Amino acid sequence: MRQWQTLVKKELLGNFRDRKWIWVPIVLILLAVMDPVSNYYLPQILDAVGGLPDGAIYEMPQVTGIDAITMSISQLSSLGILIFVLISMGTIAGERKSGIAELILVKPVSYTAYIMSKWTALLALVLVSYIVSMLFAWYYIGMLYEFIPIGDFLLLLFFYGLWFILVVTLSIFYNTVFRSPGLVAFSTIATIIVLSVVTSMFGQKLNYSPSNLSNHALHYLQTGDISGALIGSAVTTISICALLLVWSIYIFQTKEHAS
Amino acid sequence: MMSILSVTGLRKEYKNMTAVRGVDFSLPEGKCIALIGPNGAGKTTILRILAGLLKQTDGAVTFSGKETNADIRKFIGYLPQYPVFPSWMTAREFLLFSGEIAGLTKEEAARRAEDLAEQVGITNALDKRISDFSGGMKQRLGIAQAIIHSPQLLLLDEPVSSLDPIGRRDVLTLLERLKKEMTILFSTHILNDAEEVCDELLLLHDGEINEAGSMEALREKYQTSVIEVEFQENRQRYLEKLKQLPGITACTLERQIIKIPVADIAQARKEIFQAAAEENWPIIGFNLNRASLEDLFMKAVKK
Repeated sequence: MRQWQTLVKKELLGNFRDRKWIWVPIVLILLAVMDPVSNYYLPQILDAVGGLPDGAIYEMPQVTGIDAITMSISQLSSLGILIFVLISMGTIAGERKSGIAELILVKPVSYTAYIMSKWTALLALVLVSYIVSMLFAWYYIGMLYEFIPIGDFLLLLFFYGLWFILVVTLSIFYNTVFRSPGLVAFSTIATIIVLSVVTSMFGQKLNYSPSNLSNHALHYLQTGDISGALIGSAVTTISICALLLVWSIYIFQTKEHAS
Repeated sequence: MMSILSVTGLRKEYKNMTAVRGVDFSLPEGKCIALIGPNGAGKTTILRILAGLLKQTDGAVTFSGKETNADIRKFIGYLPQYPVFPSWMTAREFLLFSGEIAGLTKEEAARRAEDLAEQVGITNALDKRISDFSGGMKQRLGIAQAIIHSPQLLLLDEPVSSLDPIGRRDVLTLLERLKKEMTILFSTHILNDAEEVCDELLLLHDGEINEAGSMEALREKYQTSVIEVEFQENRQRYLEKLKQLPGITACTLERQIIKIPVADIAQARKEIFQAAAEENWPIIGFNLNRASLEDLFMKAVKK
């Protein structure tokens, strides 16, 4: 436990000195806020660039708060995940490749503490950035469209957050498998894409798939009832994360820590 | 003598090569042992196995009095050949971190960090970022982090090879001092470094240990000395004459000096002096060279 704390502290300090604690939240806020805001100002933007041709009738669709937060989520789901993968791809692989890991792992460090500290520190950065960006989105959506009830919003925040926990855990897993950060990033993204494609192909059968989390959560916002599918997806996601962590630790223990 | 660590039948195979081919040795407690061998002999592989970074293909490593499945990393300090530090940390932060993950409390780690910084001579740079450190300072920091938890065995991979003469001198002096507190095993391909601080040698060649023992014992075993005689004139003629003396098998003329490798110094010297006195040889120099570690090494390797 104490080792874990020491290791987490080192990771957090490293991320802080890297300015990751500054740029990651800022980029995420931009991603989350951009679409709802630009959508709101679309008429003005159109006017500013010359407007629609005379006679064109364009009816602005009525955008609800839920529509707006869906825009934020779709940005976070694509570019947001890309950023999370980029900041996590070298957390272990890079340390092993450079040789820093050699100095750490030669000390009586438990491999579990090492992996868990990486996971914790990364998760802290990812979740804080995610929550802050969503809060910004919630605030702007409230100002421009309508406020989503705070309870509903928190539930969305929780369930959709599980998806990011899965992304981080996947990345940690591939970090223990591969020594090359590029390969880690590729495998993580490939896995996420495959998961999404397979889920949308066999949607009915894979209703509990982690990549359905956002759909189910948004569905909850619309209907107001927590479906079994939402809970199911959440449980699947948490289970996969736990499994991946245990597996990562196992792989790491059997690996050699120098080339 | 008590041995702190013994290795039996250690083998390490990689996909397409065998780096270590079944070596046995033990490290006597409280000694400084040099692992000598040319590049690619398997020194780094052995050290990494001892440090727990690599897993051997076969063979056993036993730390004295410890269960084989105990975490022996606690008792070992290790410095790789090219240590890479988290360069965004200050030296103090890194030492504290190293101490704490090795099991020291925060206070102990802080005290050890101060102590060691002074011992290795980086006190002034303690609060500087490691990215600003020179190669020599990094090596000192590397040694400090390796011994922060007061290990019983210190493993150093080529600790001085990349240093300038001053840095090299400092590190060797430091090792001389550390020798009193712990057993040291260091690898090097520079024989003089080994000769300077080590009591024992392990000669490694092509994944095998060719020779092991104390410096003295090895010297004795491979004792061949070279008599160097310098003549004022007619070197070629005396070369022929020397060759005919009993007990002298070969001699060569190198840069005006005749070199005579001999097994029995006393006998050869007598013969040479006798002949010289009788025929009044114009000798202007006579020198006796004992085998250097390098000759010894070449011999053991070629065996």
